[in-house]
Amino acid sequence: MRRLPVYLLLDTSGSMRGEPIEAVKVGLDAMVASLRQDPFALESVHISIITFDKDVKQIMPLTELESMQIPDIQTPESGPTHLGMALELLCQKVDAEVQLSTPERKGDWMPLLFIMTDGKPSDVQLYNQMIPEVKKRHFGSIIACAAGVKADTKPLELLTSQVYSLDTTDSTTFKQFFKWVSASVSVGNRSIGAADEIVLPPPPPEVHNII
Amino acid sequence: METIKKYLAEIASDENQVKDFLEKNETEIRSFFAELWRKHSPAAAAQPVAEAAADNQQAQTGTQRFNAGVQPDNEKAKNDSLAFQIKNKQIAFQNGKVGQAYCVDFDIETLGIPDIAEVTFEGLEAIGLQHLPEEKCIKGNPTQAGDHKIEMKFKRKDWEEGKPLLVREVVFIINPDPRVLWSKNIPTPEDIEYYKPDSGKLFVKVASKKTKGVFGLGKKELARKDMVAASQRGRSHAIEGKPRDDDFLLYFDEEAEWYVMVVADGAGSAQFSRKGSQIACQTVIEVCQEKIAAKKGDFSKLKATEQKNEIGKILQEIISNAVFSAHKTIETEAKEKGRPIKDYATTLLVSLCKKFDYGWFVGAWWVGDGGIGIYRKEPEYLKVLGEPDGGEFAGQTRFLTMPDIIQKELYTRIRFDVVEDFTALILMTDGVTDPKFETDANLNRIEKWHALWDDLNGSNEDSVSVAFSDDSEQVAEQLLRWLDFWSKGNHDDRTIAILF
Repeated sequence: MRRLPVYLLLDTSGSMRGEPIEAVKVGLDAMVASLRQDPFALESVHISIITFDKDVKQIMPLTELESMQIPDIQTPESGPTHLGMALELLCQKVDAEVQLSTPERKGDWMPLLFIMTDGKPSDVQLYNQMIPEVKKRHFGSIIACAAGVKADTKPLELLTSQVYSLDTTDSTTFKQFFKWVSASVSVGNRSIGAADEIVLPPPPPEVHNII
Repeated sequence: METIKKYLAEIASDENQVKDFLEKNETEIRSFFAELWRKHSPAAAAQPVAEAAADNQQAQTGTQRFNAGVQPDNEKAKNDSLAFQIKNKQIAFQNGKVGQAYCVDFDIETLGIPDIAEVTFEGLEAIGLQHLPEEKCIKGNPTQAGDHKIEMKFKRKDWEEGKPLLVREVVFIINPDPRVLWSKNIPTPEDIEYYKPDSGKLFVKVASKKTKGVFGLGKKELARKDMVAASQRGRSHAIEGKPRDDDFLLYFDEEAEWYVMVVADGAGSAQFSRKGSQIACQTVIEVCQEKIAAKKGDFSKLKATEQKNEIGKILQEIISNAVFSAHKTIETEAKEKGRPIKDYATTLLVSLCKKFDYGWFVGAWWVGDGGIGIYRKEPEYLKVLGEPDGGEFAGQTRFLTMPDIIQKELYTRIRFDVVEDFTALILMTDGVTDPKFETDANLNRIEKWHALWDDLNGSNEDSVSVAFSDDSEQVAEQLLRWLDFWSKGNHDDRTIAILF
């Protein structure tokens, strides 16, 4: 049994409080429910969720879809967006959780990474330091999403060529976004191999390709 | 009231944040004030208060509800405080799966809310589950997949008819049965480029041969080994109506008595890999056929044990020519269509063998995953003719279509073995080796080959067996049926070729 690890990095800084974070929760639930209907995903997808605000937490360790229950997501009232710290934690978790092939063990599929932020990293120095570290982890795909008008796509472009933007942080937009993430995970599941990069399904109108 | 307003204004300048704070802590604030009211205004507790009733109506939002109606305030305070406790209790039930027995412990005592005496679950029966308070569990056989919202209705210890129940919603997640999701089988449209049937099978019967005897005496029938192969499109392709990428071909040279088997696995991510695997198999067989015919005189001369090296040299020439041509033919096809060769990426496993007086001479060439092995059950013998190519991550392997393979590794990948006899010479794509061997290390463990052989001979959950007796015609159909075995997470195309 080969696992497809999927890491979700979600911005939970103060500006996400209220409707945006509620929309994210609804979107996540819908994403997981939809993945459960895909037999590939049901048997292979493992998801981990890391949230970042002034603190960085892995609120869900790499968990198989079958037994997964999305934990509650808290947002502080205000404070910085420590995306650099989040990448640091991500690297630690990938090193600990993702299994490489050995003669005695089947390795995982190359992991996928989705990042969603409605701002920009406050810890710029650490963020820039972590970029090469993240690249060393050989993600099958890194998809970064800048949500809302205040989000800055520039720092994300340093991390990946697949940067998307959402005009708003309302529930319709997030619903579409996570639906697309779910479709991308399904595709990723079956196209990793000889291809250099997975070909993502076309994003919905709410999700704009930046590059 | 003004003091509270002022205080709120101090803690948050933003109107929304105040609203947010109040909404989030509604129950707590309400129960706090209700408690205050009860303590400091005993008169109010004795008789219904209109204001409290109005509040009560408002409280019927969210997950906690109270029966409408006028209640004494201490009653309301109790309920509010309980509702608060219930709401904030971590209650989660492990996920179930359709058709699989479900059983989780649930004891109301463990919630640690002493004022609660009883709980009922509304909606459980509809999904095939039951709450059994005596057995302190929830069990059953889930029938409906989905995220099911179930209402837990709590009764207070001093509950009596007419008093409200405290309600809280929990979610039961029931996973679909993957076997049902996988059961969709859409035929590949026949009008696609490079169409190939969704399955294939082949049996090459090599009839018994009469020995010459001495002066016409002592003639006997000599049973000769047969070849069989089968290839089945994986469920991962079947549910999407996508073609089989695997391929295979068998050839027996009647005159020189060489057996040739080829299997190939087109890369899942390469668009036209089904053609790559097909060209590879066909070219290898064609070149072998031609070369064996050209060398047949040599084979009849080089029969002695000490001439093994000569046979090895000829075999090396045949194999390297065949593999090189396979690569070139794919390259030509790609060029003609104006596509990169990697669109045709495929693995390749080749075996050639012939029986000499000293035993069986086996030559092999292998790139990619899957496996080739010479297996003997009794006395035990196993020789794996190469190593699977893998990377750090799953799905990473090497292909015939990579330039390095042909430029640098054409000769280093050739393997030879000479054996007295064997039970089976087996070539498989990773659709078979992944579920049956699991790891690369296991490919070199004879126990795993014993298990595979027993499995092929019927020791499997579907009791499908392949009759490997001499000249048994139905063996190909049986092998194809065997390939349909169930293995969680393994739904790739499967191809196997066996000389027995």
